[in-house]
Amino acid sequence: MRVPGRLVAEALRSLFKRRATILYPYRELEKIHLPEGFRGRIEFDRAKCIGCQLCFRVCPAKAIEMIEDEKGKRPIFYIYRCIYCAQCAEVCPTKAISMSKTFENIALRKEDLVVR
Amino acid sequence: MIEKILAAIFFPGAVFLLAASLFYEWVDRKLYARFQNRVGPHLAGPFGLLQPVADLIKLLSKEDIVPMAADRLLFTLTPILAPALILLACMFLPIAGPSGIISFKGDLIAVIALLSIYTITIYLAGEGSSNRFASIGAVRAALQLIGYEIPLTLSLLSAAIAAGSLSIGGIVEAQAERGIWLIAGPQIIGFAIFVITSQAEMERIPFDIPEAEQEIVAGWEVEYGGRRLALFRLSKDLELILLSGLGAAIFLGGPIGPVIPGLEPVLYTIYFILKSLVVLAIFTLVRALFARLRIDQMVSFSWKYLMSLAVILVILTEVIV
Amino acid sequence: MSFEISIGPQHPIHVEPLMLRLSVEGELIVDVDVDVSYIHRGIEKALEARPYIQGLYLVERICGICNAAHSLCYCLNVEQLLGKEAPPRAKYLRIVVEELSRIHSHLLWLGHYFHTLGFETLFMYFWRDRERIMDMLELITGNRVTTSYNTIGGVRRDLTPEAEQRLRRTLDYIEERMRYYEKVIDSEPTILARTQGVGILKPSDAVRLGVVGPHLRASGVKHDVRLDDPYSGHDEIPFNVITWDTCDCYARVKVRIREVYESVNIIRYALDHMPSGDYRLKIPPFFKAPPGESLSRVEAPRGELVHYSISDGGDRPYRYKVRTPTLANLLSVVEMLRSRDGYEVYIADVPAILGGIDPCICCSARVMVTDEARRRRTIMTLEDVIKISRERGAKRR
Repeated sequence: MRVPGRLVAEALRSLFKRRATILYPYRELEKIHLPEGFRGRIEFDRAKCIGCQLCFRVCPAKAIEMIEDEKGKRPIFYIYRCIYCAQCAEVCPTKAISMSKTFENIALRKEDLVVR
Repeated sequence: MIEKILAAIFFPGAVFLLAASLFYEWVDRKLYARFQNRVGPHLAGPFGLLQPVADLIKLLSKEDIVPMAADRLLFTLTPILAPALILLACMFLPIAGPSGIISFKGDLIAVIALLSIYTITIYLAGEGSSNRFASIGAVRAALQLIGYEIPLTLSLLSAAIAAGSLSIGGIVEAQAERGIWLIAGPQIIGFAIFVITSQAEMERIPFDIPEAEQEIVAGWEVEYGGRRLALFRLSKDLELILLSGLGAAIFLGGPIGPVIPGLEPVLYTIYFILKSLVVLAIFTLVRALFARLRIDQMVSFSWKYLMSLAVILVILTEVIV
Repeated sequence: MSFEISIGPQHPIHVEPLMLRLSVEGELIVDVDVDVSYIHRGIEKALEARPYIQGLYLVERICGICNAAHSLCYCLNVEQLLGKEAPPRAKYLRIVVEELSRIHSHLLWLGHYFHTLGFETLFMYFWRDRERIMDMLELITGNRVTTSYNTIGGVRRDLTPEAEQRLRRTLDYIEERMRYYEKVIDSEPTILARTQGVGILKPSDAVRLGVVGPHLRASGVKHDVRLDDPYSGHDEIPFNVITWDTCDCYARVKVRIREVYESVNIIRYALDHMPSGDYRLKIPPFFKAPPGESLSRVEAPRGELVHYSISDGGDRPYRYKVRTPTLANLLSVVEMLRSRDGYEVYIADVPAILGGIDPCICCSARVMVTDEARRRRTIMTLEDVIKISRERGAKRR
């Protein structure tokens, strides 16, 4: 049956319902709920790293570079190339790499987007 | 004489109308967003009230580009003519009193004529830009005029017949004398026709066919930018005041209401604004509820249903009044 | 007296660049020409330079909306090369995420489609409900769009009981909202006027032009890869294949709405009958695939998606070919846009018809040969392509 404007009840109800928009980024930042297991910015624990280079070989975006420091080989992560696939975290044998919940990965200097 | 000129410039004339048109655009956008469970403008000024102002200033500050093959006369003239026509028509609205700044017998017909000339101006604006999309949009605007003009005229004229006067001021006074608004009676059909055809006049959904964004990329206004586009948008906002004000004056009794002697202009203006905001809310609701029609569907709908309804309305008005 | 207007390559209705050159007389469309070479990204070549585990994430990014389908097809392909099969729990979990992404894609399409028809309120409502589905995807897989859930040999994470509870509640909400929207769409005269009788594609033409997916099912042809060639455990889950007989844009809307109900039921069945056990096989990240070739098919939200690969024994594919559903559906747009006797197409119908196939142009890349020496451009025909591929294949053997 054709009834024009059937949406009118819903439209009028929407006037009084709470808005569906979250006013990010100016207000209401507490309304952003990120679940556990969200794939955000990489975090690295140097103490657990054994220098196996598996993360470097597996990264699809070539965002990891191996350098030498006083304890041996270790990766540095370029967040501006990272695609947040978490393959490096999955393949690391000592779980030295983890994904945090930070998703606002913008910076004014490239240096701020390198995790050492 | 001097008061008339001052009234035409400041209140309730050009300055007041321009400020009010920006306010009406804010109401329209905010209501439309709330119907869709969104926020609407909220950053520029308190509650986003200054958003239309910000948009206008932004447009005015942009570069002015005229296509090489465009008709310079039309390209320059139509953006000035469009808001001027609507502003002139708004002078007939009874805002601060039972009759407008300009008022004479038969001024209802003058307003309808100005609205038609406005649509022809849009046609010229589209044809003057040397762009295929603009030509298609312009032709659609002219076709749409053929569809809605007669039902619009008939609905307003039936109200005039019921009130016994062809001037807007006369219709308002007739409602004040009788004590009831024209909408309470067979003129409610006229109000319905008026709402539908006003949507077509103002080129809003479901009749925003001449500037269908998803089909012909802004239609007749596709080549206009910067100051010229600002003037066209201003003419659209002024049309909001004109048509909602016309609906309020003719069907809802205009600025008439309980008054305190001495404060009459202020109270009349407040009543006028409140009533025309109600009509504006109805316009916005209609805009939120439908999809866009095709031009052939719009014209055939107009001639099949709106025309017959308008003719029935005229017969009813003659019989009952 | 006709003149040409071009819808594209940049146009408000196109999410990706596509050139549609129309010859119009007034509002009537008389002839159509399609060009879809604007977004060739060289993905197939890039896949030949990466080990299989890295290629997984590249394939996922062929299309943002069908990313679950592309990664599932890739994993099935490589598992076929290795001669392995995912464990039963992984199969059901793959189905859950695949159907969730199908619901997401259909909701996105419905919102976008009504936006092109001018009905912005429904657009906002559909996309508000789509946010719920994306929250579910984020909960289960860790990201809203590029889910990265499938891996070679299974899935990467398990489904926790709390996630399952929230998923069931969201599915109830979505089903209830979709029933309301279906009622609104069926009764709104402006929508029916714009979609009924528009974009007719007869079933014989559909089969002849190689159309796939909901577009084919809206012309009444019952064909679905989940039914004809079940992958990942679809033969154990009962579901209906939705078809509609009117062959117009209204049918396409109805088929996609009803497929959402079917997806909801499939997810519920999979959650109720979830087998226990491992959710992935132990496969090392770097391996050499035995030489051979393999073909895998998946029912992506837009239709049948085909991946074909040749391995020469190394740790990366020798050749990888992707045939996306939109490439198959594009020819039908040309057919539907031409006016014939008794069937008129207006410019205003272009968004309705083009949107009806659910175009994802970034998935398609056409073969175009440019001859710099002689400054000529030719578009290869089907016969040329078949001839060249047979010659090359024979040479390799």
